[in-house]
Amino acid sequence: MAPRRLVRARRSGRLAGVMRREDEAAVASEVVGRVLERSLAGASGPQGRPVEEIINETLYHERTRLSKAGDGETDRAYYARVAHELPHASEARRTRLLQEIIERYAREITGHFDPRVYAFATRLAPFALTALLNSLSPRRLLTRLRDVPGLDEHIIIQGEVETLRRLRRRGTVILAPTHSSNMDSVVMGYAIHEMGLPPFTYGAGLNLFSNPIIGYFMRNLGAYTVDRLKTDPLYRETLKEYATVALEWGYHTLFFPGGTRSRSGAVEKRLKKGLLGTGLSAFRGNLRRKRTDPRIYIFPCTISYPIALEAGTLIEDYLKEAGKSRYIIVDDEFSRLERWLDFARGLFELDLRIYLRVGRPLDPFGNDVDEEGDSLDPRGRKVDPEKYLLTDGEITEDPVRDAEYTGTLASRLLAAFHQENTALPTNVAAFACFELLKRKQWRGDLYRFLRGLGPEISLPLPEVEQEVEKLLGELREKESAGQIRLSRTVSSGDVAETMRRALRSFGTYHTNPVLERRGVRLHVGDANLVFYYRNRLEGYGLLGAEDLVQRRKVGP
Amino acid sequence: MKNPSVAVLGAGNWGTTVAQLIASNGRDVTLWCRSEAQQKEIAEKRTNEKYLKGVSLSPRIHSTCNLTQAVRGAALLFFVIPSKAFREVARTAGDYLEPDQLIVHGTKGLEAKTHKRMSEILLEETCVRQIGVLSGPNIAPEICEGKPAGTVIASKFPRVIERATEVLLSDRFRVYSNEDVTGVELGGALKNIVALAAGMAAEMKLGENSKALLVTRGLSEIARLGVALGARAFTFAGMAGLGDLLVTCSSPLSRNHQVGVRLARGEKLPEILEKLGMVAEGVNTSKAAHEIAAERGLDLPLFEGIYRIVHKGLSPAKALEELMTLSSRHDVDRTLG
Repeated sequence: MAPRRLVRARRSGRLAGVMRREDEAAVASEVVGRVLERSLAGASGPQGRPVEEIINETLYHERTRLSKAGDGETDRAYYARVAHELPHASEARRTRLLQEIIERYAREITGHFDPRVYAFATRLAPFALTALLNSLSPRRLLTRLRDVPGLDEHIIIQGEVETLRRLRRRGTVILAPTHSSNMDSVVMGYAIHEMGLPPFTYGAGLNLFSNPIIGYFMRNLGAYTVDRLKTDPLYRETLKEYATVALEWGYHTLFFPGGTRSRSGAVEKRLKKGLLGTGLSAFRGNLRRKRTDPRIYIFPCTISYPIALEAGTLIEDYLKEAGKSRYIIVDDEFSRLERWLDFARGLFELDLRIYLRVGRPLDPFGNDVDEEGDSLDPRGRKVDPEKYLLTDGEITEDPVRDAEYTGTLASRLLAAFHQENTALPTNVAAFACFELLKRKQWRGDLYRFLRGLGPEISLPLPEVEQEVEKLLGELREKESAGQIRLSRTVSSGDVAETMRRALRSFGTYHTNPVLERRGVRLHVGDANLVFYYRNRLEGYGLLGAEDLVQRRKVGP
Repeated sequence: MKNPSVAVLGAGNWGTTVAQLIASNGRDVTLWCRSEAQQKEIAEKRTNEKYLKGVSLSPRIHSTCNLTQAVRGAALLFFVIPSKAFREVARTAGDYLEPDQLIVHGTKGLEAKTHKRMSEILLEETCVRQIGVLSGPNIAPEICEGKPAGTVIASKFPRVIERATEVLLSDRFRVYSNEDVTGVELGGALKNIVALAAGMAAEMKLGENSKALLVTRGLSEIARLGVALGARAFTFAGMAGLGDLLVTCSSPLSRNHQVGVRLARGEKLPEILEKLGMVAEGVNTSKAAHEIAAERGLDLPLFEGIYRIVHKGLSPAKALEELMTLSSRHDVDRTLG
């Protein structure tokens, strides 16, 4: 491709934000070209693998996947044909087969953006949702239209919004939010629009595309597909290359570095480094191609929910030993319309607030970035990020070195998630109660302890309030030390109001109230959910509590 | 690296030796000294009498007191600064360092207040990420005499190991590699604690068996503490663990050993340090190890005994008696797997 064409495409991409239709094919072909070239270069290299071996690896991984999948007839037939042809294929034909496989992967990954759907989603959807929700609430129906609360009162956007707006014009942005619910995609989509940013390209799990409610929007809002069940290294490479090329073309991108929703409710304790490393690759690509504005800015985000849509399924999955293999959940609350409505109704009626915080930007090496877009060293001195990639004055690719850089970025992101996490009344109440219960009847291990917490188990309210007061005090100290963020109520230190809000939230959405007040005692309605909501405040050393959530790797 | 520009920061006995090693491989090397008198002595007389008696230094060593000059443009830097001054020098050097420079440090100690390793300090004070550590059984005067020796360079960045090896390796000096930076740093730092005990044992004429006892149990405690801090157990079977410990316990030349000898004679720590006129890292490391063990609930009886002798005035004889009457434990620490 002629460089001039690239520059033009890139510029238009930056303005449009989401990939234009005419770019889709060009990006895909660039991706295929690069992955193929790299595979072939590897094949002829000193420790190279012959093309046949690469294809056999694909066959192995894909056929293993397909043997467990219900559908996938087209894929099955295709790979049967490849397997049949491969042994007799000439060298040229093998290369052609390899290209074909990469093309199929790229086609599947490539997103599609329809401006009409975008216009509908951003303008109409919040209004439609608001109207729908209000019609479901008789009390609201009686109020005049201008008093109808909008989503903006329920999704509070805070943090480095100005910096984000500025830097997206000086380079390409990666938004990296925490991930605890499939609602995150909706919330981020809304927030991106609300912050006045152009739509972002984003990587979404295949399960979102098959979701009846959201799939339609996903397919048409420039999301690209991430199929976590595809274990073929060639697929992963194609996916990473796609993300890299999109960034190089100036498409701002959103992906969840945790990879999957937090099962425990805790803030991410580890990240997937594959997609995270694409920022560095794109930066290098931009430098090598001498592009203007080559820089990549990574913005950590946290999304904090007072009640979580899929909390029940997620925590159950976490606690189940089988949960390790259930990487993708299809049959959860997210796919049931009535649960959405319950959730949204709770949000509106109870005046609940979802907090979205944009953290300070980082460069692909994990350095802080200032408001002007310059990288800073740990002492706040300006540093030229290009030099991290130099070997004897040349820009180089060094997989071990680059993985170390991405590792640093990952740990800086985790630290940012931890600091920008917003403590909400539900988290506070759950944390305090959990600690009290633990002191009273810990049974050696978590599972036995949780099983022992039935509805007959209760705590005297004054004792809980005392514990909450102590916790609020500790939280405010941590807040002033910049170690955590607090919601308005939690920040006020008002024990009664915190408890009131927490109990109301706990009583609305979930089938059983998480915690319920009866007279002067607080009863445990759902021990697993108490654990879930408490976990958001783990890792801060609050109330001297030990950490219970394992840094367990979820999924394959 | 055709025109390597290598700088060594710190002209104590090990820093000067590192510079000498590089220079004797036919490379020019900048040696940064804190004191002007020392800089002059090296430049004019080609000696560094205070630290390396009787050694004649290579003309390829270019001494300077100007840190900016030493740091700027050096592709590879060796930081050989006592742990006490390490952060300050790193911070100042950080004003001039760039992300494409490589740093290897050769400091066997921990920061007193924070218990941080030197590589952690470098990451906090500079923009450089490509960092490594040089450690092992390296008694400076022997190396300057050209006697055969070996060392280890650990880094997560292969290029750091490659380049540092390139400038140090000779037919007199073997260089091994490792990725476990934490382990190599801790091995080098913690063996200094055992060195203090070895000095005491020598002075008390406890015999050869006791020396073996000290080495073996010392290594066991080094590994236990090291693994608790994220090191790999096997690292301590290498140059920076067993290797360094053996030389430390058998050679009376080491500073920590000398401190141990004097403590056993009943001298008091402040006087000893004053007479020595150099840094004995083991003294501070002993305190750091004591604090880390307390914080993490680790059982390190030998380290604890040494800590109480050095910092709490316990007599070595009494400490020995206590250690010898402890209930016996398994030969090999099974928790290290």
